[in-house]
Amino acid sequence: MYIIIGDTGVGKSCLLLQFTDKRFQPVHDLTIGVEFGARMVNIDGKQIKLQIWDTAGQESFRSITRSYYRGAAGALLVYDITRRETFNHLTSWLEDARQHSSSNMVIMLIGNKSDLESRRDVKREEGEAFAREHGLIFMETSAKTACNVEEAFINTAKEIYRKIQQGLFDVHNEANGIKIGPQQCISTSVGPSASQRSSSEIGSNSGCC
Amino acid sequence: MNFLRGVMGGQSAGPQHTEAETIQKLCDRVASSTLLDDRRNAVRALKSLSKKYRLEVGIQAMEHLIHVLQTDRSDSEIIGYALDTLYNIISNDEEEEVDDVEEENSTRQSEDLGSQFTEIFIKQPENVTLLLSLLEEFDFHVRWPGVKLLTSLLKQLGPQVQQIILVSPMGVSRLMDLLADSREVIRNDGVLLLQALTRSNGAIQKIVAFENAFERLLDIITEEGNSDGGIVVEDCLILLQNLLKNNNSNQNFFKEGSYIQRMKPWFDVGDENSGWSAQKVTNLHVMLQLVRVLVSPTNPPGATSSCQKAMFQCGLLQQLCTILMATGVPADILTETINTVSEVIRGYQVNQDYFASVNAPSNPPRPAIVVLLMSMVNERQPFVLRCAVLYCFQCFLYKNQKGQGEIVSTLLPSTIDATGNSVSAGQLLCGGLFSTDSLSNWCAAVALAHALQENATQKEQLLRVQLATSIGNPPVSLLQQCTNILSQGDKIDRRGSKIQTRVGLLMLLCTWLSNCPIAVTHFLHNSANVPFLTGQIAENLGEEEQLVQGLCALLLGISIYFNDNSLESYMKEKLKQLIEKRIGKENFIEKLGFISKHELYSRASQKPQPNFPSPEYMIFDHEFTKLVKELEGVITKAIYKSSEEDKKEEEVKKTLEQHDSIVTHYKNMIREQDLQLEELKQQISTLKCQNEQLQTAVTQQVSQIQQHKDQYNLLKVQLGKDNPHQGSYSDATQMNGIQPEEVGRLREEIEELKSNQELLQSQLAEKDSLIENLKSSQASPGTNEQSSATASAQDSEQIAELKQELATLKSQLNSQSVEITKLQTEKQELLQKTETFAKPAPVPGESEAVAAAKTTDVEGRLSALLQETKELKNEIKALSEERAAIKEQLDASNSTIAILQNEKNKLEVDVTDSKKEQDDLLVLLADQDQKIFSLKNKLKELGHPVEEEDELESGDQDDEEDEDEDNGKDQGPI
Ligand SMILES: Nc1nc2c(ncn2[C@@H]2O[C@H](COP(=O)(O)OP(=O)(O)OP(=O)(O)O)[C@@H](O)[C@H]2O)c(=O)[nH]1
Ligand SMILES: [Mg+2]
Repeated sequence: MYIIIGDTGVGKSCLLLQFTDKRFQPVHDLTIGVEFGARMVNIDGKQIKLQIWDTAGQESFRSITRSYYRGAAGALLVYDITRRETFNHLTSWLEDARQHSSSNMVIMLIGNKSDLESRRDVKREEGEAFAREHGLIFMETSAKTACNVEEAFINTAKEIYRKIQQGLFDVHNEANGIKIGPQQCISTSVGPSASQRSSSEIGSNSGCC
Repeated sequence: MNFLRGVMGGQSAGPQHTEAETIQKLCDRVASSTLLDDRRNAVRALKSLSKKYRLEVGIQAMEHLIHVLQTDRSDSEIIGYALDTLYNIISNDEEEEVDDVEEENSTRQSEDLGSQFTEIFIKQPENVTLLLSLLEEFDFHVRWPGVKLLTSLLKQLGPQVQQIILVSPMGVSRLMDLLADSREVIRNDGVLLLQALTRSNGAIQKIVAFENAFERLLDIITEEGNSDGGIVVEDCLILLQNLLKNNNSNQNFFKEGSYIQRMKPWFDVGDENSGWSAQKVTNLHVMLQLVRVLVSPTNPPGATSSCQKAMFQCGLLQQLCTILMATGVPADILTETINTVSEVIRGYQVNQDYFASVNAPSNPPRPAIVVLLMSMVNERQPFVLRCAVLYCFQCFLYKNQKGQGEIVSTLLPSTIDATGNSVSAGQLLCGGLFSTDSLSNWCAAVALAHALQENATQKEQLLRVQLATSIGNPPVSLLQQCTNILSQGDKIDRRGSKIQTRVGLLMLLCTWLSNCPIAVTHFLHNSANVPFLTGQIAENLGEEEQLVQGLCALLLGISIYFNDNSLESYMKEKLKQLIEKRIGKENFIEKLGFISKHELYSRASQKPQPNFPSPEYMIFDHEFTKLVKELEGVITKAIYKSSEEDKKEEEVKKTLEQHDSIVTHYKNMIREQDLQLEELKQQISTLKCQNEQLQTAVTQQVSQIQQHKDQYNLLKVQLGKDNPHQGSYSDATQMNGIQPEEVGRLREEIEELKSNQELLQSQLAEKDSLIENLKSSQASPGTNEQSSATASAQDSEQIAELKQELATLKSQLNSQSVEITKLQTEKQELLQKTETFAKPAPVPGESEAVAAAKTTDVEGRLSALLQETKELKNEIKALSEERAAIKEQLDASNSTIAILQNEKNKLEVDVTDSKKEQDDLLVLLADQDQKIFSLKNKLKELGHPVEEEDELESGDQDDEEDEDEDNGKDQGPI
């Protein structure tokens, strides 16, 4: 279970739509509060249902969307590479997230709209540097061309899954679940293989953007 | 506040006065006393007064109580009393219970009181936040009244309180913890609080769902025994309903969280009559409604269908169908189950197909559809149940061409069960259509109309239906029968509203004729129909007839709009003229408008479910209202259009049709080209595939060739090391692994033969020199008898040696000739092998060029090999010639030996005659003779050249002659 946060209009809803329905919505359909989306993915050979909450970026919804931090195991923090102010606001988003969420929350930094290279306002290196500085995973995506969208969601899920296996989340008590399919139970899947996975692999970028 | 003062002032001041004073005193104590005990007692006293003197306590004590909440948090008792008092002031619940005899007026007053006090309380939003923080207190005395107070606040002024809770950090999330409280009272009241909290607030509903409410509520329902549980189950269900109703995000979450599966056991009520308590009925009712929330026709289509899918996959639909067919189920549960099944199957083919296959457990089993339709046309069944069955039937046919076809087919002559054993759906519908119960008429007509909805095929099929009215009369078509009933409607005595029957039939006819020119033609073909319609429309009838007039106008309009002018007397134009003459355009349009202006029309257009408060309201069908919306405008236009315009339009239509045909032509062309393109694409892909295969084959072959080359080079190098001079030979051998060894062996053998031959030659040379010696020693026989004796002794020794040597030579020769023949046969074999090897293509699958090159290569090598073999043969021939020569030499030396023997014999005679002393010699000679003889025998025994032996023996004399010749020729020097 994770959330998507970031300024309004950066393409959060589009990213989710692209991930769940493989569609792109060119019109900005302002999100009111939050919207739920879900998809099955395969992680380490296991079918896992990702439950994703797309939050509204508008300031007026902040108090509502804050309610979703506590229960989330991960967050996609999104900015728009064609609008510098959305990048500048990252710090305040990050503070908000860290303050209201579990300390183990996996945060993936996403520079969206990579298809608009001509209008780029934030260099990729800047995103990388910010991510490094704050210990985030980084990726540039395009909800329009679907580039890296799949990877962004799945890599975040992998990282969460890894943390669950390391026992950093309690899947049973807290409502932070990646919901594990009914066919397997967590205890059997805990093994050395899980900890061998390096996070660098997760951060790796397919570089199609 | 003005209002409050007014109320206060209005009340008699006398007896109340003292109470007001008391309350004031208590408030002062709460505000100023420094002793906690004192304050606590004062608050308790206020609490006890708060029910009876709600207004007074409320006005005077509110702020003091709030102050207590702020400052005395450490004492749960006083907090509890304060909360209780506030609850009493704000809540209307208790009031209603206590004063249920009071006048309505007073109740309204108290309601107003509650909301007024709520308004005061929440004016300071911190008060609500304070209350929220108090709820974190675990103490029962604090938490419970806190929950109740907050619930009351929410009930009084929901939206405002919701907003405050929403913006207070983690406000909603904290309230969710109440569901986990181990004390049932608090948990149950927590459910009620959440109910009030989530009422019509999407944002809060989502947060509550996010905080795992589904899981927890479903757990509680399961723990409490599903439908057998108490009121808490009902409360949980209502909360679930709040969370899901009209909230797509939450519905999606519910479905994706696999919670639909957890609903299935709710409906496992079975046949075992564990009794149907009122609570159980209520619970099941809400459970069914909850299912309907997820598949409501008003949800987004995608959302509904994915829930419908899940409900079939987890067996929920099947479970519901079991209830449908079970006995002893209370009527309202049965009705709601039918409605639920309806929406679970509506527009979803898999579920519709399943539903069509459900059978009632009767003997013989009947399809559930038939059993349900029997109830629909049965007057004795409850009205709501009959409506539910109609809905179910409609949902079964909605977007279900297959189902529509099946229903209509039960009416067609070919499929009607002649034995009449089992009733079919079609028979039931016809029965309903022509029964004397107007409700059945209406339901059957609407049901039949749904079998035709958006299905041109079935509209035409239904025209084929013939009815046997009475014995002796010819059968009448269904269409004819419908119009007959319409026109003579008044003659039949029916129960219920006559309007209902006519409205039902008219709706059926309108649906039937729309978009179906053939049906229009059939309809117009009956010459009674148009006059009937115009008569109905033209008449100036009362208000209740207006709807029928409107429907007649619609039917006439449809007959014009979908008219293909195939009937001379009822062409479009003629019908329009008729309207103008008999009715008037304006009038016609006005009458047409009656339909959508009817008071029940908009109600029916909202929802597909036929849901009527009572039978009189059963007038419009939802799908029919859609048809009216669609046709009203176009018919109006069609009527107003002048004939010229009509003609123009006709022309336009024609050109359009032409355009259409051109477009269709192009479309077809495009389609064809598309097909071709597709084919070509496929061809390309197969070609690509082939090409790839070929390329891989080529690469394989190239690598094979490379391998061969490598092998060849390797062998060359190896052979070069072994036999530096036989390069060409090894070329040939590289093709065949067996040859090099054999050839090597052959070569070795030839080598051996050669050395043997050399040996023989050297032996021959020795013998030659021996013979020379002998000759020279015999040259002076008489001169030195002694020496000659020794010489002859020597001679005989030498002869013996020679003979021995001869024997070995012969045996060697013999073995050599055997070996040679063996070698020759081997060689023959090898040749054959190389030949057979050379014939097949070197590597199967190799390209021809390579193969040809290979073959020539191999052929070249083969010829080289043949050459070699020839050479070897020649060598062998030369060898055998040499052998023959050696034999001759041997023969020659043998004859020389014979001559020598003769000479020796003569010498012996001479010696015997002349020298007795030479007796010893004689003896020796005899011995020699003996030895020679045994040698001869041995030779004979060896069976070797018998002729040679013969030659040796018999040739003694011959040899003399031969010898002369031989001597003259070859051994001239001797
Ligand atoms: N070119 C391009 N446009 C995008 C991309 N992603 C989103 N957009 C556009 O950006 C606009 C905003 O997208 P949304 O997904 O609705 O934005 P949001 O972040 O959900 O905004 P809020 O709901 O207000 O928080 C839309 O007009 C999208 O078409 C992208 O990758 N490339
Ligand atoms: Mg959005």
